[in-house]
Amino acid sequence: MEPPPPPPPPPSGTTVTQRDQWRVEQEVGRIYSFFAQLPPAAQSFALEVQRDNHIEYLTRGLRGLAPSFGSLDASRPWICYWIIHSLALLGEPIDAELEDSVIDFLSRCQDPSGGYGGGPGQLPHLATTYAAVNSLITLGGSRSLSSINRDKVHNFLRQMKQPSGGFRMHDGGEIDVRACYTAISVASTLNILDDELAEKVGDFILSCQTYEGGIAGEPGSEAHGGYTFCGLATMILINEADRLDLSRLIDWVVFRQGVECGFQGRVNKLVDGCYSFWQGGACALLQKLHPFGLSEGGEDESTDSIDSSLYAASNVSEQEEQENNLESASPQVDGTCQFKQGGPQSASCSINTGNASYNFLERRAEGGSLFNSSALQQYILLCSQLPEGGFRDKPGKFRDLYHTCYCLSGLTVCQYGRSKHADSPPLPWDVVGPYSNLLEPIHPLHNVVLSKYQEANEFFAG
Amino acid sequence: MHGRPRTAPKPEDAAASAAKAQKLRGLQSQFLSYHHSRIYTEEALDASAKLLEINPEYYTAWNYRKLAVEHRVGESGSSPESVKSIFDEELKVVENALRQNFKSYGAWYHRTWVLSKGHSSLDHELRLLDRFQKADPRNFHAWNYRRFVAALLGRSVEDELQYTEDLIGNNFSNYSAWHNRSMLLSEILKKKEQESSSQDVISKEYEFVLNALYTDPDDQSGWFYHLWLLDQTFKVKAPLLVSSWPVPGSDLVVSGNVSFADHPLSSFSEFTVALERFPVVLYFNQNVEGVNSSTVTIQSTFVQNEDVTWKPLSLQNSPASKVWVGYLDLSGVDHHSSAPYTVEIKLGHHQGIMSSNGLQLSIPFDLSFTVSVKPLETQSSKDEKVAWEEDKFCACETHLQVAIPCLCYDGITVDNKYEPTTSDWQIGTIAEEISQIRNLLAISDSKIGKITLARLLMAHDAMSSPYATQTVHAEEVLGLYSELMKLDPSHYQYYKDERSLVLLQQLLSSRETLLRYCFCYRGITSPSAYGPICLRLNNQSISRMGSFDKLLWVQMLDLSDNELHSIEGIEALQLLRCLNLGRNKLRSFTSLDPLRYLRSLKVLNISHNEIGLHSIDTTRYSCSASPLSHNGEIIWSDDVFPPEDADVTNYWDAFMVFKSLELTQLDIVGNAVANEKFKSFLLKILPKLQFLDGQNLHRI
Repeated sequence: MEPPPPPPPPPSGTTVTQRDQWRVEQEVGRIYSFFAQLPPAAQSFALEVQRDNHIEYLTRGLRGLAPSFGSLDASRPWICYWIIHSLALLGEPIDAELEDSVIDFLSRCQDPSGGYGGGPGQLPHLATTYAAVNSLITLGGSRSLSSINRDKVHNFLRQMKQPSGGFRMHDGGEIDVRACYTAISVASTLNILDDELAEKVGDFILSCQTYEGGIAGEPGSEAHGGYTFCGLATMILINEADRLDLSRLIDWVVFRQGVECGFQGRVNKLVDGCYSFWQGGACALLQKLHPFGLSEGGEDESTDSIDSSLYAASNVSEQEEQENNLESASPQVDGTCQFKQGGPQSASCSINTGNASYNFLERRAEGGSLFNSSALQQYILLCSQLPEGGFRDKPGKFRDLYHTCYCLSGLTVCQYGRSKHADSPPLPWDVVGPYSNLLEPIHPLHNVVLSKYQEANEFFAG
Repeated sequence: MHGRPRTAPKPEDAAASAAKAQKLRGLQSQFLSYHHSRIYTEEALDASAKLLEINPEYYTAWNYRKLAVEHRVGESGSSPESVKSIFDEELKVVENALRQNFKSYGAWYHRTWVLSKGHSSLDHELRLLDRFQKADPRNFHAWNYRRFVAALLGRSVEDELQYTEDLIGNNFSNYSAWHNRSMLLSEILKKKEQESSSQDVISKEYEFVLNALYTDPDDQSGWFYHLWLLDQTFKVKAPLLVSSWPVPGSDLVVSGNVSFADHPLSSFSEFTVALERFPVVLYFNQNVEGVNSSTVTIQSTFVQNEDVTWKPLSLQNSPASKVWVGYLDLSGVDHHSSAPYTVEIKLGHHQGIMSSNGLQLSIPFDLSFTVSVKPLETQSSKDEKVAWEEDKFCACETHLQVAIPCLCYDGITVDNKYEPTTSDWQIGTIAEEISQIRNLLAISDSKIGKITLARLLMAHDAMSSPYATQTVHAEEVLGLYSELMKLDPSHYQYYKDERSLVLLQQLLSSRETLLRYCFCYRGITSPSAYGPICLRLNNQSISRMGSFDKLLWVQMLDLSDNELHSIEGIEALQLLRCLNLGRNKLRSFTSLDPLRYLRSLKVLNISHNEIGLHSIDTTRYSCSASPLSHNGEIIWSDDVFPPEDADVTNYWDAFMVFKSLELTQLDIVGNAVANEKFKSFLLKILPKLQFLDGQNLHRI
């Protein structure tokens, strides 16, 4: 793309937060209006998942990383997971030799007393245990799966369990919702989830749901996208999702998708590609929990609606603010944001007409989706994706493995959001861009490729 | 791990950076060897400090330092100075680490650990925080730490409030500051003993937030805080019984035929059951638990209290529900005597019925009614079908006036004195907020303002009439939602659903409005002169339904020609026998799930919907994946198995809905799913079916 013209100065009289938001909208708006002017063939290309380049970027990362990655030295199983999972989503096999060395490496991260640390010799940690277990499940095969010492992992999980119901990330470490999710997810995939581990986890998660509706990292904090996914997935895994205030949760999460088409992580924060999975994934989970529509039990519609659901309101303003700004800056953006999906080959743009917008919306409503899946795919493909490989937080940021993993994960969640079965191929119009963009489906609670999850599920069934 | 600024590598730095990596690698292996050999010398501590300065995420080193501190404190001969200096050293290491990465979980947690040991001065902490919070005012680690330090310092809540005020003054979009303000005020409110002084605090906050809302009516931060304030103003209310079936004081006539054509249905108080059991429905204003034979007592000559099992009508397979049903066994009743039996039901006299947040039923409730049994008179032919044709319905006003008594509206209020729990202050506050937001909307088109106003108005109506029978502001609210649908098309469906709920509430707001939608059905031969009463809410563009509490008596309901995509809530209508959902937007059998609970349902029209048209997600994969999950099975009939030759695998969703129903008539034409194969499946799983898509199946 050509270098864009310098942006006009931000409106005066606004706060720092609003100016930052405004700048991001300008940037995203420019990308969408540039896209809108492209001829159809170029549009189709712009929306394509650049598989080969992503695969090359990821494979390079698996073989060796630049020295600047030193700060991830305590998260090395995460690097394995981000890469291996991303490759699996792209349907790309890993060569046998590399696979062996990953298994060996992760085995060396496994602590003699159970669980996986951030690297060989490091203390076992719940997050890296989750990353290691998900990596090994994704590699699949008996050598990989049998390298996991389930009994010892179980011991480790038990040691991290707190009387309050929560978990510590590691011995002497912090207690939060991440710890609950990683512990329960691992326990579930390894088929070692028992009542002792599940006991009172629900109480802890409930104490983290805030009045906003989302879930915070720990009691007293504000609601946050990553923790919201973790908390919700945990509650589903322990079969206590109905204890959450789901209608508030839905109101909070759906209004985190802004006019940039991506999701923000918290109220009044900037859009970030990784929340495509955390927030988009939470929506996908909620859709499965609530096939009847937006409501939970109609609880909020009875005699006093005031204290249960004023929440949806809260982010609407952002929407309007952004729309107004975008409209004044680039009249086409509205149209590109909601371009028609006539089919896999005709990703053509219908430039801003009220009708196109309404038609599009009606179609979405018919699909019963809790979020705008096509818009989110558009953000991931046009704003987060780098044609040379890798994904980023937002325009202006550098690519990294974390965002690559969670943008791709968000993309697959969007693509299969309305499939009848978790593994049946979606209809062409559910996939933005060419149908070859279709990624592998995942198990949305664990973020592991579905077929790999099924294999592990059978393997650990005994 | 995430969100840290990265710098692009420059080629000329490659060599230097490789050397740095080499050094880091050396440092790590050196550290690990110290750690594994439990060496806590100066040199070893130095190595861990260096490592943490480079990579604060290296949690093993934080743990090592904790062990080292304990070790050194043990050796230091417990002089307070030396202990203090050991801990001070830790604070320095943390500070350096935070400079490298102030989002490091390990570093913040280590600092918390050090301070909680109580050997360190706290003077420096707030300054340190100020620095980090200036650099990133939304850093939640820093905010968590701030709350921790403030508590440790015993800093006054007022001082902390002032801090949030300063930050908000500086940037009112900083939602973290607003959020912390809500935390601080919660503490203040908890301490206030006098209700009036809490009210003063809250009133001041309304003024405070209004400034922010006026400054920019579209900024979300202030609105979220406004929401929290409303929560404080209207504390969660205790559960309340809002309606019941039977209505208190009613005299019911029960007749025993099963066929629809055989029984009159012609008035509110007459209805037909299979003469085995008879439903009692309790409808609360929120989900409650603990409805059972010890919290609800039934006195009657024909039924023993202990024999009644109360079940929650909950789609979520949850122990809590808004609607509960108990079935009274009629087998002990003499079918040949028409003498009325009196039934008295008492609830709420003992503790036990409570909401999920532990609040007990606010007022006890007594309900008494009589049941008399009408012997079978005729045995009419069974092949009479219900046709939902316009000319079959007539508005027989005088009959309906008699047939639908006032009881269905004010039965509960008449017999049970309701004492308002809302105070003048609350009503005053809400009225004030309504007028403030109206003013705001006069100068701005804020969507969030509109939706807040809509909800405030509904809340206002609800407060002045706890049983939701008055909707003074309904027109204004409907208008607001219509505007929002145009203003914010991205959330069109959301507003439409909200609008539907209000609309329905308005249609059912009084007996007079309700009567406009009641008709006599003349389509079948009936012993009654008028035919059954049908509630017709067709053609109202309703997309979702909420209020069923006034409709518990309904046996025939026409919802055709709407835009329903969900019928959640309809499970409360335990007497429902005939239901028309034709020409709506139902997309799957899963969306018909509530029908499973309607044991009286015989006639169902779901023609011309979109079932099978969209490949939508109807699997409950995510739920069934849990090893702890208990399959959300049907509460009534766990032992229904599909006939062996039925194609259940392809139509599992349909089987789940239909298997517990005994439909005699079903219309399903005009759905993508309704092909010949599916119809033959239906015939197998619905053995009592007489009419399918209008065709007489001539079954015996």
